[in-house]
Parts: sequence; structure tokens; C-alpha cells
Amino acid sequence: MKKTEFITGSFIALTLVVLLGIFFFQALFQPSYEGKVMPVDNVNLKNRVSLHYVLKNVNNASKYLAMHGMRYFNNRSSVPSQTITYGKSKNLEEGSANEVTSIVVNYRGFDTLGEVTVLFISIIGITMLIGGVVEKKWIKPSLIVRTGSKFLFPFILLFGVYIFIHGHLTPGGGFPGGAVIASGFLLLLLGLENYRFNTKASKVIESLAGLTFVCIGLIGLFTKNSFLANFIPTGTVGLLYSAGMVSLIYVVIGIKVGAELSTGVAELKEGNKND
Amino acid sequence: MISAIFFYSTAFVLFLIGLFGVLTRKNVIKILVSFSITETAVNLFLVTVGYIEGGKAPILTNTIGSIGIHNLKFVDPLPQALVLTAIVIGLGTTALSLVIAIKLYKNYGTLNITKMDGKI
Repeated sequence: MKKTEFITGSFIALTLVVLLGIFFFQALFQPSYEGKVMPVDNVNLKNRVSLHYVLKNVNNASKYLAMHGMRYFNNRSSVPSQTITYGKSKNLEEGSANEVTSIVVNYRGFDTLGEVTVLFISIIGITMLIGGVVEKKWIKPSLIVRTGSKFLFPFILLFGVYIFIHGHLTPGGGFPGGAVIASGFLLLLLGLENYRFNTKASKVIESLAGLTFVCIGLIGLFTKNSFLANFIPTGTVGLLYSAGMVSLIYVVIGIKVGAELSTGVAELKEGNKND
Repeated sequence: MISAIFFYSTAFVLFLIGLFGVLTRKNVIKILVSFSITETAVNLFLVTVGYIEGGKAPILTNTIGSIGIHNLKFVDPLPQALVLTAIVIGLGTTALSLVIAIKLYKNYGTLNITKMDGKI
């Protein structure tokens, strides 16, 4: 390598590193709406739009914005809101105790529909590309592995179902629950000799779950004039039967993701023999 | 309590490690691992944007009790929701690219990108 090439290359690399560093560390200094630049350590939720997601008063905030215009940006905290108490507050605009779930499934449910679609397309891609590629190199599993995977499978399935049913109360939700279910099927695929994963049935289940998701969205469209709007009463914060359609949609997503990821894992092991 | 600058620095260093791997490695699998590291760095960066010192995880529980305009104890939940989406899409792309890597190995008999020439 010539010396000039080396110098040019390192100059370009250094410039890239410095630019990336500026990009990463500029988040430390965010301008507030009064025009002052303040360090990120002093930022609290009152300066951010997430305040309304946390206090569950998004509808109030949009009404306030329509009434007062730009004055809203200087005092977000004067939007009417109420104190939310775990296990006591009833019939809020949005009833899930987990704020991330309330954003992912309710306020931005359409994004989640797109996300599920991306996962679906990637699994279709795997199924298309893997055909006839997989080699059989099978090491016979020992007695402990066979018995253990048979014994553990129902419990893993139960744990996955628990995660996605409690998605609006605890960390987790449809996607982690589905991944846990897929890991149970992976255990069966690795541990049992004669186990055949029923790809067709899992595809049918997955399509039905996706259809149910869209149908729930359409019910919202016809009853509340907005796609994926919440049409079920939200109930008390913190109970299992609360949050309206959030828990319903998370159950559907959990089934869909579990079936999808299991199909992907099974295709990676067995290849596409049927087609 | 940890200052946010620690997380920003970690994300930056992880991003540089991933970028270095993508640019210098020859093995397809190692390139994919580097992509995953870069993705983790970006996710960490996004979560850190919503980090508030002393804030708790944004889930109402029995111990947190109640939340109102005068006692906000949570970190920002919005970037976390964004990262949840990003993680799932990262899973999909990683699985698809691993399958493409298997196909490449079948076709060329090697995973080294410099030795993959025209023979199919």
C-alpha cells in the first residue's frame, strides 16, 4: 500500500468517526421550546410529547392544541389531566398499566400492523429461498434430551401464553410471547427424532390471526370512525380484564408471531420438502 | 444513578465496532454478526434518548402506586416503543440474510466474499 493512500484512508475514516460522534452526542444537548439549550440531564417528561402518553390525556392535548395553537408548546403541563392510581383509576382514555404497550398497540397500532407484515414477508422469503438446500446431518439425541424436551414443551407453551396475555400489565407482550412459543417448538425439533412440524397448519393459524387483527381494526373503523380505535370499555388500570382491545390484539399478535417464528425455525431445519 | 453520557458513549463504541467489522471482515457470517452489533448500538442510542436520570421503567405497578402531573417518575416510553418495532424487524432481516448466506455457501462452496467468483 502506498503511503499517500494510507494517509487519505485514515483521514476519511477519522472524519467519519468524528461526524458519527457529533451525531451520537448531539442528543445530549436538546433545545427547549423557550430557546435555551440545556443538558439532557435536566430534561424531564414535561418537555416531551410523551407526557400525554404517560398521563393518558392525548385527546385532551389535541383539543388544547386546536384551541390555543402555539401556546401549547410552552406549557404542555397545563393540559387538563388526572392522577392515575394503580388498581383504582377507571374508564380512562386508555387502560393499560404498561405505557409502552399502550403506545405500541393502541396509539400507534397501525405501525404494529406494518411490523407484523414485515415479519410475515421475511418468513415467506425464508420459505421461498430455503427450498432443497438443507442437508441432513442428524446426531441422535440422548435419552435425557428426549425426555426433557417432551416434559418441558407444555410448560414453555404455557409461559409464552402467560407472557402475551399479561402484555398490558407487565413487561413483554405479543412479540416476546411468540418468541418463547417458537423456542418450545425449536426444542421439539432438536430433541425428538420423529417429530414433524406441521407447516401447513401453522400457516393457516398464522393467516387467521392476521385476519383477526385486521378485523378488530375494521370494527374500530365502523364503530369509532377510526381504524384500530378502541371500541371496548377500558376498565380499571391494573386488572387482567382491562385496556379494552389492547389485550385482545396482543393475544392475536402472540399467536401470529409464535406460528410465524415456528414455521421459520422448522423450515431452517427441514427444508421445503412438500413443494 | 448513571449519567446518560455513559450510555451514549457505549452506543458510539458499539456502533464503531460494528462498522469496523462490516468493512474489514471477509466471512459473510462475521459481516452479519457485525450488522447485528450495529443494530444493537442504534437501539441502545434510541432508548438512551428517552432516558431520564432516576426514572423508573414506564409500567404502573403496586409499588409505584400513582402517577400525576406533579410526580412523574417514568422514563420516556416513546423511544422504547420505537425500539420494540426495530428489534422485530431486525430479527426478520437477520433470519432472511442468514438464509441467503446458506444459499451462497451452497452455490460457491465458500463463505469468503473475495473468493466468490462467477462459477455457479
